[in-house]
Amino acid sequence: MEFGIRNGKVMVIMVTRINIGPVHPSTHGVLRLVADIEGDTVENVEAHIGMLHRGVEKLVETRKYLQSHPYMEKLDYVSPLAYDETYVSAVEAALGVDVKERAQYVRVIELELQRVASHLLFLGTMCNDIGQMFTMFMWTFEDRDMVLRLLEQATGERMFYVNMRLGGVNLDLPKDFEENCIAFINREEKRIREYEHYLESNPVFMERMKGVGILNRDDAVELGVTGPVLRASGVQYDVRKNNPYYVYDRLNFEMQTEHKGDNFARYKVRMLEIKESLRLIKNALRMIPEGDAIGMPVKLILPAAKNREVMVRREVPRGELMMYMIADPQSPYRLSIRSPNFVNLSALEYVARGCKTADLFAILGSLDMVMGCVDK
Amino acid sequence: MDEIDKSSAEFMNARKEMERLTAESLKKYSIKPNVMFGKLSDLIKSAGPTEGVIKWARQNSLWPMQFGLACCAMELMDFGAARIDAERKGYLLFRPSPRQCDVMIIAGWVTKAMVPEIKRLYEQMSEPKHVIAFGECATCGGPWWESYNIIKGIDQVLPVDVYVAGCPPRPENLFQALMKLQDKMGGKIED
Repeated sequence: MEFGIRNGKVMVIMVTRINIGPVHPSTHGVLRLVADIEGDTVENVEAHIGMLHRGVEKLVETRKYLQSHPYMEKLDYVSPLAYDETYVSAVEAALGVDVKERAQYVRVIELELQRVASHLLFLGTMCNDIGQMFTMFMWTFEDRDMVLRLLEQATGERMFYVNMRLGGVNLDLPKDFEENCIAFINREEKRIREYEHYLESNPVFMERMKGVGILNRDDAVELGVTGPVLRASGVQYDVRKNNPYYVYDRLNFEMQTEHKGDNFARYKVRMLEIKESLRLIKNALRMIPEGDAIGMPVKLILPAAKNREVMVRREVPRGELMMYMIADPQSPYRLSIRSPNFVNLSALEYVARGCKTADLFAILGSLDMVMGCVDK
Repeated sequence: MDEIDKSSAEFMNARKEMERLTAESLKKYSIKPNVMFGKLSDLIKSAGPTEGVIKWARQNSLWPMQFGLACCAMELMDFGAARIDAERKGYLLFRPSPRQCDVMIIAGWVTKAMVPEIKRLYEQMSEPKHVIAFGECATCGGPWWESYNIIKGIDQVLPVDVYVAGCPPRPENLFQALMKLQDKMGGKIED
């Protein structure tokens, strides 16, 4: 029981504290929320994390460089390839290995496919969270399955690809990949237009999304959120544009931003990014040179690391991922991971304050984090 | 005309046969696999709780719990989505409440913080209840074998019916695991 001022009078306010999770159908992964609710309005939300903690950073220190790929992939199991690539880039920077020209293109194509798959999963689960049960979920999972099938053709594995090697990739793109990929892109572009049409002409969807969970520009910068969440608040920041790596500066693509910072903006940015990624893959497939893309074979003992300290920044589907590594000759002395999900989750408290209880999950869905990466 | 006569004769034969079988089974209450004859109340009375109609019904309406821990939950979602039509084998909706569920699928690594929660969920499920350890982590700890915060297999905490290998297993493997569970419930596989 608290005292507060409502309509100019001092009144007793009944605040109810409810527990959500850690196992709850609407929480993404294993997340426990404690919400203080007055009537139907959320006064405060606290996120309790750590239910999936397994000490990745510590385990990596006990392994050789090339033994750590699977650990990195399991950080963010919705976009594993992006994390694997970031880690390999850190090792490449420490060892002073250059990536082959064709391999750069192959990596970009696979990373963008992974981004499409990840954003499709976001779309499906977020529509579940706002109560649009299972229709979008079924459709986007069908599409996501097609992306996974393409990646399976290219890498030989369905979910955890472990396709990155020092200086290149493990398996080059197969012969019929381009054909299949173009067919998929043409189909997917149509489907995304359809989804947008269905969702944005649906008054219930728009009511739940527009003007809910506003994160304004200054707060977004202050909190340090990255990725689609930041771009939805109107900040022009994308590591692919601001600090290009691989061949991103040669490929023609636009940074997608919105300015309102609400749920709808976050959804819209991701939809635009899917379209942009599809265009980017098409460009990359057109420009990809012939040649060798195969990286170094897997060996426990590698040439000793040249650089002691390295830091790599990458734009993964959920934001900016940084890996800071202090390199010993054969294994990391310390690997520190700046998880975009962790930072985006910290914004929940600010975004959800003052919203309705039912919108809490819509906001949680629109922030789109993976708990495996938050807890490390 | 001949064909119609023939088919109607066949139909009559089949019908006679069915009536004969119904009469027989009503006499003896013997039950064929997946076929039941007679009044439901009589059948339930005749069969004990672990055999006959009840076993058959349990076997063919497994309700899994909507409960994912980590990576394998992605494949669990794929299993529930458009990839496989699992309902044709009797795995109905994923239920969010443990009280409505028969099967708990442990999909992902189990941390020490999650053990009490999982135990609590398991205890809330109504009997008879089954557990599937889905993936390496739930089976034996998987790649986190040396981690300080991971239980080395869910079987240290709960009794497990079916183990599924793979990191992560494909959605089809979960389908197979559920079929194995049905066989086990039907007595085709010994413990």
